[in-house]
Amino acid sequence: MPSLAELQQQFREAVITGEVQRAAPAALIGGHEPSKRLAVHARNYETSLVEALLVKFPATGWLIGTPFLREAARRFVHEHPPQGPCIAEYGAGFPNFLSNLVRARLPYIRDFSELEWHVGQVAIAVNSPSVNAGEFSTIDAARLPDTTLKLQPGLRYLDLEWPVDDLLKLYLTETVPDQFELTRARAWIEVRGARGEFHLNRLDRGEFTFRKSISHGRSIGDAAEHALDVNSKFDPGQALAGLIAAGLITAINCGRLCTKNPGRS
Amino acid sequence: MTSISHHPGVGLRLPHLAEMVVTRPTAGWLEVHPENFLANPHAAELLTELSAHYPISLHTVGISVGSATGIDCLHLKRIRDFADRINPILVSGHLAWSAYKNEYINDLLPLPYTEEALRIVSAHVNQVQDGLGRPYLIENPASYLGFQSSTMRETDFLSELVQRTACQLLCDVSNVVVSAHNMDFDPYQYIDDFPAGAVREVHLGGYTPEADEATPSAELWIDTHAAPIAEPSWDLYVYALRRFGPRPTLIEWDNQLPSLPALMNEAAYANKIALEVGHAFAR
Repeated sequence: MPSLAELQQQFREAVITGEVQRAAPAALIGGHEPSKRLAVHARNYETSLVEALLVKFPATGWLIGTPFLREAARRFVHEHPPQGPCIAEYGAGFPNFLSNLVRARLPYIRDFSELEWHVGQVAIAVNSPSVNAGEFSTIDAARLPDTTLKLQPGLRYLDLEWPVDDLLKLYLTETVPDQFELTRARAWIEVRGARGEFHLNRLDRGEFTFRKSISHGRSIGDAAEHALDVNSKFDPGQALAGLIAAGLITAINCGRLCTKNPGRS
Repeated sequence: MTSISHHPGVGLRLPHLAEMVVTRPTAGWLEVHPENFLANPHAAELLTELSAHYPISLHTVGISVGSATGIDCLHLKRIRDFADRINPILVSGHLAWSAYKNEYINDLLPLPYTEEALRIVSAHVNQVQDGLGRPYLIENPASYLGFQSSTMRETDFLSELVQRTACQLLCDVSNVVVSAHNMDFDPYQYIDDFPAGAVREVHLGGYTPEADEATPSAELWIDTHAAPIAEPSWDLYVYALRRFGPRPTLIEWDNQLPSLPALMNEAAYANKIALEVGHAFAR
């Protein structure tokens, strides 16, 4: 008699691969050919995850066709089972997987589906109260470069090889132009969302680099240096003011560097 | 809200969440799958708002107490944090497994009823109850398969689990109907053998008959939660209430969701049955 772990390994193989007859454990009970009932579990596994992916990538389905997307999702769930029980978190690797299937025909598919994934993620975020300009007055100006900032949770920064935000906007507005030509060109996109809504902002490379660096926990000074590396005309003061004005900063962390009231940290 | 009503509750799924917040229909209580909220802060925010108006029960689908390779402690911690935020009246899960090592198989898979499985499930239920700081209710599964290696009946396994862990039980009456049909046993005898004293909650859900690939010209009943509750489930529900006494009852509907009012009608029908059985559920 196999141990429980051995039995579950056999089940895992049968359900995830979908090859029920080949991988079914011996000594099952249920009907005349019990191993055939294992197909119910294999089907539950496949169907629930495929449907979850289709719900997350409707625009991608619009672009490549739902039957093709469904087949790609079906292959994905068999090759890449979830690593955790929250299915809302499942699918981050699907854009890359999809790209490997159709890159030759649709070279922008990875960018497009990745953008859609992140739109879905930010749209379920919840905004935190934002910091106002007055709170920056608590920081000694000389120490400002060493200060780090916490940004809203519903923010993503995507450096894309194709301007697929234009394509996504066609889907969102249900626009069907007679002709649409997508030309390869880098696009720096800020995806911002919360409570069911989202916005796509195309940024210039300097501002994008600054904001992305801040979102990764870099200090203001570090982020500004990175931004200046890619755009010599980058203005750190204006960029910081832009972050504040857009309500994107939720906390200031100046540690022991603040010389006045440290405020939130 | 912290006290449970004997008026039947409904499973609250994400497509109904916003409508529920706006319309706040009469419902005894609400049950959610916490896994649908852990990675969805907006939904969690709305549920927190609802928790001020309805008792909430958490029905976990990812803890996997039957996994021989252990349970996910990080996930358990997330459930605990969520429970601390929602303050649920009940927290429950399944007599099943759904994880193998670090892979999550998105279904409730069957266990053999052996001493080894009992030892593993008991250890995990203890771990879950310690981790949650609350009692954990275990639900009987809907079965399509069993194991020749089983050495005890499901009801014996559950009784022994209660003895070893002091856990409580969730009796899914529709699962009993489905399993009895598929595995060829008497559902009424099952209710007679079920450890009634440990039952803290009852579930009712719809199932879908389909051709049984394993047996020519036979039907297999699938626990889809995609249909109205069938007559055999209502009949067994009456029998179960007579045996268990009044217990909080939940209408589960997960797929091909009806309108929220239609879901509430199923709960109202359960309440009518409970009243006819003679229990003053509607107080």
